[in-house]
Amino acid sequence: MDKLRAKVRTLLSEGQVAGYLGYLIKDSHPLPHLFTPENLEEVDQAVVAPDNARYPLDKLLIPLAERYPEAAFAIQVRGCDERGLNELYKWGQLDPEKVVPVGVACTQEQADYCECPGPWASVVDYGEKCQPVAKSLRVEQVATLAEEDAFQEWLGAFKRCIKCYGCRDVCPMCFCKDCSLEHEDLMSTGQLPPDSIFQLVRAIHMAGRCIDCGLCEETCPAGIPLRVLYKKANALVKDLFDYETGSPTAGPSPWKMLGEEATLETKPM
Amino acid sequence: MELRAVLTTCPYCGVGCNFIFEVLDGKIINTMAAKTGPSNAGSLCIKGWSVHEFIQHKDRLTKPLIRRDGVFKEATWDEAYDYAASELLRLKDTYGPESVAFVGSARCPNEETYIFQKFARAAFGHNHVDHCARLCHAPTVAGLAVSFGSGAMTNSFAELEHANCILVIGSNTTVSHPIAAKRLMKAQANGAKLMVADPRKTQIAQLADLHVQQNLGTDVALINGLMHVIYKNGWHNRAFIEERTENFPALAEMIEQFPPERVSQITGVSVPDIEKMAAWYAKSQDSAIVYVLGITQHTTGVDNVKSLANLAMLCGHIGRPSTGVNPIRGQNNVQGACDMGCLPNAFPGYQYVNVPENVAKFEKAWNAKLSGTPGLTMVEQVEAVHEGKVKGLVVFGANPVVSYPNANRVQKGLEALEFLLVLDIFPTPTTALAHVVLPGASFAETCGTFASSERRVQLVREAIPPIPGKYNWEIIPELSTRVGYPMKYASAAEIFDEMASLTPAYGGMSFPRLEAEGLCWPCPTPNHPGTKYLHKDKFTRGLGLFQAIDFRPPAEAPDDDYPFWLTTGQIFSHYLTGTMTRRCPTLHHENPEVFVEINPQDAARLEIEAGEKIRASSRRGTIEVKARITETVKPGVVFIPMHFLENAANRLTNAALDPITKTPEYKVCAINLAKAA
Amino acid sequence: MSDQEFEPKILGFFCNWCTYAGADLAGVSRLQYPSNIRVIRVMCSGTVSPHHVLKAFQKGADGVLIGGCHIGDCHYLRGNYMTIKRVRFLQDLLKFTGFEPGRLHLEWISAAEGPKFAQTVRDFTEKIRKMGPARLKSARAA
Repeated sequence: MDKLRAKVRTLLSEGQVAGYLGYLIKDSHPLPHLFTPENLEEVDQAVVAPDNARYPLDKLLIPLAERYPEAAFAIQVRGCDERGLNELYKWGQLDPEKVVPVGVACTQEQADYCECPGPWASVVDYGEKCQPVAKSLRVEQVATLAEEDAFQEWLGAFKRCIKCYGCRDVCPMCFCKDCSLEHEDLMSTGQLPPDSIFQLVRAIHMAGRCIDCGLCEETCPAGIPLRVLYKKANALVKDLFDYETGSPTAGPSPWKMLGEEATLETKPM
Repeated sequence: MELRAVLTTCPYCGVGCNFIFEVLDGKIINTMAAKTGPSNAGSLCIKGWSVHEFIQHKDRLTKPLIRRDGVFKEATWDEAYDYAASELLRLKDTYGPESVAFVGSARCPNEETYIFQKFARAAFGHNHVDHCARLCHAPTVAGLAVSFGSGAMTNSFAELEHANCILVIGSNTTVSHPIAAKRLMKAQANGAKLMVADPRKTQIAQLADLHVQQNLGTDVALINGLMHVIYKNGWHNRAFIEERTENFPALAEMIEQFPPERVSQITGVSVPDIEKMAAWYAKSQDSAIVYVLGITQHTTGVDNVKSLANLAMLCGHIGRPSTGVNPIRGQNNVQGACDMGCLPNAFPGYQYVNVPENVAKFEKAWNAKLSGTPGLTMVEQVEAVHEGKVKGLVVFGANPVVSYPNANRVQKGLEALEFLLVLDIFPTPTTALAHVVLPGASFAETCGTFASSERRVQLVREAIPPIPGKYNWEIIPELSTRVGYPMKYASAAEIFDEMASLTPAYGGMSFPRLEAEGLCWPCPTPNHPGTKYLHKDKFTRGLGLFQAIDFRPPAEAPDDDYPFWLTTGQIFSHYLTGTMTRRCPTLHHENPEVFVEINPQDAARLEIEAGEKIRASSRRGTIEVKARITETVKPGVVFIPMHFLENAANRLTNAALDPITKTPEYKVCAINLAKAA
Repeated sequence: MSDQEFEPKILGFFCNWCTYAGADLAGVSRLQYPSNIRVIRVMCSGTVSPHHVLKAFQKGADGVLIGGCHIGDCHYLRGNYMTIKRVRFLQDLLKFTGFEPGRLHLEWISAAEGPKFAQTVRDFTEKIRKMGPARLKSARAA
């Protein structure tokens, strides 16, 4: 932690950033916190989010940056958080010139739990790089199901949905002001469970955008395997369009441009 | 530049979820589920995720208001205090202290409620102080207190995940207590059998391994029937009955009269289903019962609760982890408000007023003359207004005009008052009738504690300063002082410490100890770890008491004039009278207006189409509702949500009361439906 | 419902410039095709959001047919590049979740291809008829 704290202290005291968005143990709980030069002594208490108390810091940074467009901020990022920053840059939500990542490498245990192919940030200020997990067994398992069985599995999960919108509200990539899930003509309202297509609509929006932090699945009271759905959506985007979600070098999202040529063909009936 | 994450406790239902307010430069911009919250573990419902939408809403009351000649005028705090105090003193002098009654809140923190009931009792010398637990879980408090000696949820939420069988009865869990439903779904994923008894085919009913649709108001018969089957088959727990309970023969005699065939006739539940339920509940290793207002809001509310207690004791499914009788409270602090003695029959900590030692204890502590006679309950207060006995009412964070049954009569009563003082955060139909309106600070603007359903006392933390400029715990002492009973506190913590010193179950608690995860009462000493589940080796009262309960039908049944059974309740995007939730755009979007659920067969017979406006009327009133045609209700039964004050379901409901707790029968009455002219 | 009685409900999203004109040509040429299809005319097949397709299934459609201009013929030059991206992605996502990807079909049909239009609708209707009612619909009725 010393290395991370020293870096943050330097960034703040030298005025390179106006604040550092990280974590602090407050009221006996690890909570997101904005460290500022005015309260430099707090940096001695800065911590890395415990695995069971990760919050979408990227999402917190958006309104902060919007309110202080001239200021630069440092932010604690794991691999997923940094993929998130890269996507948010592309979608015009954050300015890369104004963001300084303070990088964390995840533990092997965390990487295994997440089935994470990139469990560290591009700079590592805390932790040791572990073995990435190249393939998602959870996705493979669902892919082996017969179509009818897959349908029953997913529908059974969707029927448990209590429409808390937690998957959206916790998602660092959900920055839209108007949400398709609340489109008055396309999604019915007022009843539980919601339309069976609710999660599919969200999956469409997550394709090429989900940075696989897994916060949606962790918050879901109904235990819907959302992460499996979005991992698959991203895998499809990779297969069909060769787009690596969250990569700084992947170019624009396939959904953001028509493309120079049509590389796909229609499926036969 | 300031961005703070403020950890606090949800102000809606009694599950007690923790969340974080994101406060950017003094404005609450977002809500985030707290990962480390003990009862929610990172989840929230739609209401929780949207809670920041109402706090800094433009409709908030910010200045005291005084109504003179029918017009509200803004006033200074001093003017409002003086006017209110002079009116209260005038009534006290003219008609006697008993002419002023008090309605507290199940929403405000313990500290505020504690000093509110202290104000009523010490300054007026009577016990006419009550709150809306009367309308929801008073039968729980009364029923379980008789059976077990303690009227609270016996186990804790997290334990439910490890039960082998869960009986959910009269609880639309995914709607009213969504994060408790999380535990039920987890339990099911862990292999538990989930049984739901509910007249409506709710979401949790659809997810259940077995759903039975009992007729409205027939719960006692159903539970007696289950016990009959269990006893006949010898599935009961003889050792437990022998060692831990008394009065079993009386119960055995009563349930003898409830063979499944008869029960099936009364309840409409098939004999095989009754047998299956009985077997699953009795034969599972750890079975838990979860219930809510579908059990309590009946004229047989206390009977229903006692019957569930009987069932748990019969099988010995109590006093162990993942078992018990688990009422989930509907309000963030209804448990706390009861604990704080906002009840006409008890001082804080259920120290009953008719016990002279208790009166003496509190007289000494508060340095005031107190009454040993139980006071008027909420609904009785309204009757006393109609009889001219009560002339003034002090309402603290409640909305009786919408929440009480037979709303038309309540409104007339409140209109007749000589003086009505209301504190609230938003204008409501009740504040509209007030002579003085005091603007309240919401939960986001104060420190204090809420006690959740699982008896967990948790901290509420100040995210922004009070919008009206004063903490509620400053307002009450100021009023009290001006009517002649001086009170002064420097902080909420100071109030808590005084309360804890007088309330044995809270005796070991203090703000610093509550910081991490809160504490579940009883927690009598400073190093006591709190109590996850009650009645471990011994019931609070010693032996568990079996009570023979006979079946009584509901007070009102359909007839030719009013041929439909009406039941009322909540919907997932709104909360109680909607004062807060209907101001949240996310929640309003889901359900902007009232509706009635009606079975397709009934709709076809009455030629009613989906979305059509229809008139619903009972002997007490008429409202306009939109038809929602659905199989959720059986033919002959309709459902109307309670949240919409412009067409309040409570204009229809029956104020028939449970004879013991005076809880109204919101869940059953007879109505008629007709196409709107 | 037995298979004999089953009449599929099919929703068509056709682009104004090609497929819709192709349908017109089929009409004036008196080419027969089944009446199971209900048509929504859109300015470009690229405006059809996957959400529209899913909504159709939610509301009880047994099949969704999207028709657009051939690649290279788009009135808006490259609008249909987006169509093919979306449809291929959605078909694969539907396959993964068991939501019957075969009920969604994309066909390029120009204004001159009246016979192709009629044949496509005939084939698709028959295919859906053979598949029976949509799984999602049956699940909801249960």
